[in-house]
Amino acid sequence: MKARPADLAWLITVILVLAFLLAPIAVLVFSAFDAGNIFRFPPRAYSLRWFEAAFASAEYRRSLWVSTVLAFVSTIAAVTLASLAAYGLVRGRPVYRRAVEVLLLAPLTLPLVVWAIALLSIYASIGINGTPLGLILAHITITLPLAARIMIATISQIDPTYEEAAESLGATPARVFLRVTLPLAMPGIFASSAIAFLVSFNDVVVSTFIAGASWLTFPVRVFSQLRSEGIDPTTIAIGAMIVFATLLVVAIGERLLKLSRRL
Amino acid sequence: MKPLNTFLLIAPAALLMLGVFLVPFLLLAVLSLWTLKPGTLSLDTSLTLANYARLFGDTYYLGSLWTTLWMSAVTTLACLILGLPLAQWIVRRAGRARGLLIGLVIIPMVCGALLPTLGLVNLLGPLGVVNGALKSFGLITSSLPLLGRPIGVIVGLVQAFLPLMVLPLITSVERIPLDYEQAAMSLGARRVTVWRRVLLPLMLPGIAAGGLLVFCASLTAFVTPQILGQGKVVTFASLAFQQASRVLDWPFASALAMVMLALLLVVAGLGAAVARFARRQA
Repeated sequence: MKARPADLAWLITVILVLAFLLAPIAVLVFSAFDAGNIFRFPPRAYSLRWFEAAFASAEYRRSLWVSTVLAFVSTIAAVTLASLAAYGLVRGRPVYRRAVEVLLLAPLTLPLVVWAIALLSIYASIGINGTPLGLILAHITITLPLAARIMIATISQIDPTYEEAAESLGATPARVFLRVTLPLAMPGIFASSAIAFLVSFNDVVVSTFIAGASWLTFPVRVFSQLRSEGIDPTTIAIGAMIVFATLLVVAIGERLLKLSRRL
Repeated sequence: MKPLNTFLLIAPAALLMLGVFLVPFLLLAVLSLWTLKPGTLSLDTSLTLANYARLFGDTYYLGSLWTTLWMSAVTTLACLILGLPLAQWIVRRAGRARGLLIGLVIIPMVCGALLPTLGLVNLLGPLGVVNGALKSFGLITSSLPLLGRPIGVIVGLVQAFLPLMVLPLITSVERIPLDYEQAAMSLGARRVTVWRRVLLPLMLPGIAAGGLLVFCASLTAFVTPQILGQGKVVTFASLAFQQASRVLDWPFASALAMVMLALLLVVAGLGAAVARFARRQA
């Protein structure tokens, strides 16, 4: 196709839009290397001192640990529950399939802030506000819909002939599931685990509402600090590392699993 | 599969969502009709519309509602203007770079609300990249106040929610066969005409879906407005956040949340109507 001025203008627009979209993350990573106590552009000097500070800080290490454990537990629970439900919905074809799908996917369309306010008052009245149990339940709830959507699509795409063939050869239903369905569903399981982990690890909206004093995730800690004291450059350095890890997961997921096609 | 087995597979997930997600919404409606006993944190469970009366009788709350609405509208429009050329390029011209580009688009979504906002503070702040660059080019002498103003918040919202617009647009552009454009072109239509008369009507469902997602997300956003607004731009969701987790007036926070929910339902109804209209046209 021959290049035309209109195409060139279009291409430049696209590049500018992408630059705008990614600018905040690019600036975050860039500013982590500023040696000063307050980021200024252009920086006077560059250093890795904030990365060193990040690794040395016990306080941040604890909140990162909380975030990691929380994301890990929630992901395993959400993906397991979502996969079982998706298998039941797609293969069992119950009459109430549509209603359950709406229920499982509802958090994707209803606003989480509104829900978080409701959850906070309920948690406080039954006394699990700020506890690990409360946080884990909340995080399973925000990640399960994402996993359910991916798993319903994944299982719908598995040809039932494979399962029928295994069954006709004498395999028990449990064996069919473990040896035929599960391996075929693995790409979907990996994709939903990656998404669920990232969403749980980076969540600040819901966790901020229900966080107590002792179980602070990293985003909650940074958010409350930002509103009271402003930016600590150490958090910028940690943020830059989290961004890097996120990019790595997305890149690998995109390459191996076509992650963005499954969202 | 036996119906009982099907039920047992689905039950755990369904029960969790019912108990932890749906029931709180119902309780929210009830809670918004309760009040706090004056001067205490204990609940007065007699039903009253006092919270709603307080909300709609105070210009502070109404002002914040208005700010939130117009900022959400501007954000949605900006996302549409930026999203259309990007989505069309990704589908029609990107070729092998397409996966990479879609990957780039979803990055702000998976990074959560906080990290990009941290970057935005350093981008828009008084010593940040924008002001620093303008100063070193000699275009300004004193920093432009971008944080603590609606403009800064809107930039943050557009950046955060642009993916919600681009993904549905990509889906709707993908459904348009290339032949339609070529047919219109071969009949002598100019590119602008093809875009306006052929592509735009066919993209309407994607525009409605994306617009709805962006508008609803902006309406209920509180992390971005809290940080970039620096307490000077008070959105409705940040009011609700303050009432719920600082003032601890849950009944009033619930009333604020119910108003947000009602607004979203109205907007969703409008969006559905637009989508239906678009389908009938197509």
